[in-house]
Amino acid sequence: MLEARFETPLANCEAATGTYVSLREIGERGMIDLRGSAGDKKFLAAAKAVLEVDLPKQPRTSATWGDIRVFWLSPDQWLITCPRARAQDLSEALSAELAGVHSLAVNVSDMRAIIRLEGEGVREVVMKGTSIDLTHGDYPPGSVRRMRFAEIAALLHVVEDNVIDIYVFRSYAHYAWEFLRKAARKGSEVRVFPKAV
Amino acid sequence: MIVVTCPVCGIKGDETDFHYGGQAHVRRPATTDPVNITDEEQRDYLFIRHNPKGLHFERWRCDRGCGKWFHAARDTVTLDFKAFYGITELPPVELQQQAKGPWADYFQSRAKAR
Repeated sequence: MLEARFETPLANCEAATGTYVSLREIGERGMIDLRGSAGDKKFLAAAKAVLEVDLPKQPRTSATWGDIRVFWLSPDQWLITCPRARAQDLSEALSAELAGVHSLAVNVSDMRAIIRLEGEGVREVVMKGTSIDLTHGDYPPGSVRRMRFAEIAALLHVVEDNVIDIYVFRSYAHYAWEFLRKAARKGSEVRVFPKAV
Repeated sequence: MIVVTCPVCGIKGDETDFHYGGQAHVRRPATTDPVNITDEEQRDYLFIRHNPKGLHFERWRCDRGCGKWFHAARDTVTLDFKAFYGITELPPVELQQQAKGPWADYFQSRAKAR
């Protein structure tokens, strides 16, 4: 009998070799989509009771507590990342705590693929696919935004100065991976951008 | 290329990160008087758009960012944005004063209502 087996979106992709920044998939991460009003005190209190961290209210920021990280996506939407094994329990706990409050918490762990870029020049590599200026001081570590990347919708998370996570929808994972593999291949360095301030 | 700034999440990007949503501050006559509305009024509401040379008030959506709608005032000659403001808001007073055509009437009626 066949058994269902978990496989990460990029399990069968070609490894990134010969690139000037390192590329790898982050497969084992759980994600929860949380929606509700930032102006609703009950909603904020319930979310904090479960997550133990305040939802970030400043645009394009994130908040971290232990292994939980909360991304601001819009004034009424957050993405919570956590270890994959915890995602289901956490989303159920959120739904229970938020009962009676106009809101939504859904486990979307299988919805997106995460690609991590690491090394000197990651900002430049990402800028090959988007119109945003990542060398600008608007993008310090911890900043998060959604963007148009290589013509597809993607979520950008600046983890550290030289570490960037890109979240894309699962069906685009292979395309995004191939785009980045080519954008980062050795010999294609641009090196004209100033270092991020 | 025109550079748009979203007043909701503050991101700045070229127009491919955004989606143009047509003329702003269009009044729907059926909202105030659904019974006595004429065919001409309904036609104007649905299809007739103002197309000025100069100051233009329009709607945009932060399509690939926070997903929210907002307003912008733009000069159609220079493509310069004069202001970005919230979807429930009116433009800055000095732009309201410069407004012509249907917008001038609209801003005046809003000012009176206040």
